[in-house]
Amino acid sequence: MIKRVPSIFALLLLTMLFFSGIAQCMDLHNWTDKQKSVLKSLWLESLPHLPADPTNKYVSQPEAISFGKELFFDDRLSGNLKVSCSTCHPENMNFADNLPLAHGMGTTSRRSMPLIGMGYNTWLFWDGRKDSLWAQALGPFESSVEHGFTRTQCVSVILENYKDEYERIFGPLPAFMKRDLPPLAKPSLDEPSALKAWIILSPEKRQQITTVYANMGKAIAAFVRTIMPTPSRFDHYVEAVMADDSAGMLANLSNDEVKGLRLFIGKAKCTNCHTGPLFTNGQFHNTGVPQRQGTPPDNGRSEAIAKVLADEFNCYSQYSDAQHSDCVNLRFIDTATYKYIGAFKTPTLRNVAERAPYMHAGQIPTLRKVLEFYRDLPPGKRPADLEHGALNDMELLQLEAFLRTLSSPLKYAQ
Amino acid sequence: MKKLIVLVLGLMIVGCVTTPGPESVGPASGGKATHKHGAFTKHYESSLFEVSRNGLYSVEMVLGAPGLLTGVNALDIIVHDNTDHDVVGAEISVTPWMPMMGHGTYEPPVVTEKGGGLYSVENVILVMSGLWELRVNISKDGVTDTAVFSFPDVQMDTKHAHTMVMVPDNLDLATQQMSENNKFDLSYKSGIEPLPINTIHSWTLILKKADGQPITGAEITLDGDMPQHGHGLPTVPEVTQDLGDGKYLVEGVKFSMPGWWVIKFRIRAGGEDDTATFNLLLKE
Repeated sequence: MIKRVPSIFALLLLTMLFFSGIAQCMDLHNWTDKQKSVLKSLWLESLPHLPADPTNKYVSQPEAISFGKELFFDDRLSGNLKVSCSTCHPENMNFADNLPLAHGMGTTSRRSMPLIGMGYNTWLFWDGRKDSLWAQALGPFESSVEHGFTRTQCVSVILENYKDEYERIFGPLPAFMKRDLPPLAKPSLDEPSALKAWIILSPEKRQQITTVYANMGKAIAAFVRTIMPTPSRFDHYVEAVMADDSAGMLANLSNDEVKGLRLFIGKAKCTNCHTGPLFTNGQFHNTGVPQRQGTPPDNGRSEAIAKVLADEFNCYSQYSDAQHSDCVNLRFIDTATYKYIGAFKTPTLRNVAERAPYMHAGQIPTLRKVLEFYRDLPPGKRPADLEHGALNDMELLQLEAFLRTLSSPLKYAQ
Repeated sequence: MKKLIVLVLGLMIVGCVTTPGPESVGPASGGKATHKHGAFTKHYESSLFEVSRNGLYSVEMVLGAPGLLTGVNALDIIVHDNTDHDVVGAEISVTPWMPMMGHGTYEPPVVTEKGGGLYSVENVILVMSGLWELRVNISKDGVTDTAVFSFPDVQMDTKHAHTMVMVPDNLDLATQQMSENNKFDLSYKSGIEPLPINTIHSWTLILKKADGQPITGAEITLDGDMPQHGHGLPTVPEVTQDLGDGKYLVEGVKFSMPGWWVIKFRIRAGGEDDTATFNLLLKE
């Protein structure tokens, strides 16, 4: 008798544990209606169609996309013939290098940004100093530490290598003489000799050159717009939630990952800024990340507001295809610069695990340290929209595990 | 002998205690005992004291009760030269600076001379918490020097503690409201429903008098915020068209995150002013 009781008891205990384990497991996957709507808002399926870009009428043209792709990978578009867009945005690295500070012909003062879902961004660059993807694409060419190139050189490269392709999309190229395209000529305040060579050109020639240059940017933007995420394990999980498919839920996220997801949309309040299917609100926030030592002071958005309003290629410019009435983002831009001192754009969290180091100057080396940084900001020092509940180390592990489920291969024009 | 020593000691003590401080000058905070700092005299017990870099001036800084916080601060400084005389009629600028962040602030503080070496410093705007320096530059008769005050840990101003704000139960989410003093009846309709996050869009307003008559030609401005965050609106929306019949078009509306937003309309019509407030609860 005595020997049998323990084994029945043990059996009962084991059975109870087994079912309570399953119950707990299933509890984790039990979502309220409110939570389901949050999950749905983060689901890739909820991403609306890529909006048209009123400033760039070529975005959907297949020839523009393939021309743009060729330009993206062409390292002849640089001063040392070694730098192309793919130098800082390598195709095999999710289009973002792994350096704290991007490096083209020299070292820049900021981290390369991810190129995922850029067509949905209102403002481009960490500080939002460009208001369209094609205006952004043109920035690095004339930066001495990136491509170290000029627009006159760009036009020469197109004349020599891409004349037919260009003309098929944008119409006939103007007849440029050699003297019309002095190599080192650009409207750059940083390089007076190039500026001098630029202003000597006639206004007509300058406009012709800049038009070709702008079209180059538009083609590159048409390609970059095609770079999009594919469904990740998180998206498959939400699909299962929407279909009430328990087996699907269990198959796609582990317990820890689901706990991390619950924290992400709950106590940790990450969705204050990392909202929507691309996990970003595209807004500018000063999160108190310290400046990188040895770089010049970086005030972020506050200095970029004037830049985007003055930008040569913005929505209101002569090179934009938009009607003035389309330019709502500039028209209603917030010019109260004091709100944006040291503020930088929220990046996407899609594929975030592949993209160390983190922050605008690569100040934080690992995902874990990013979470610790946010958690350890003292209450007196964090702005109210960074408020979150107390998080212990185990919970940070779970958050990190969840963030890793946002990785998936990218798709883009082939 | 002992009596002599006691007498001498007594005289010395009495002598110290009765040294006069600058009673007629400056705020009444702090004690009145004076202390020597080399050539300079500190007049207030609870003030901060710095000597300028080249030893030409001393600056005594008196802060208000909670000390420096983020936001707008005011303080007083007393400036002496190195013969311990009040520095009157100097050109003084105060520059707030964050050495770790590499930036200052967006508007300069305003320095006003009060006389007797006292200067009030207003509009000291500290844009965020952390390590701040206040660099006091003094220039008189061609003699210029700078004194630097360091504040290692400026805290957020918790009087405006947004994080303590809770969303009220039964939040009134009506899209039609009477203005505060019941002068106007205002309602809005968003061009995109439900209210989208991070998408710039337009609203149509309908403005009526209390008796229901539509009002044309009104001047309407709007502002907004999330009471729990205090970051304001991400754009500057405007009433861009008077559509007639009491209807107005508001363009440039954008909400940067889910949660509780409050939009306040200021209305001026027929010589009357009033405000109308709406609560919005945005879902992800």
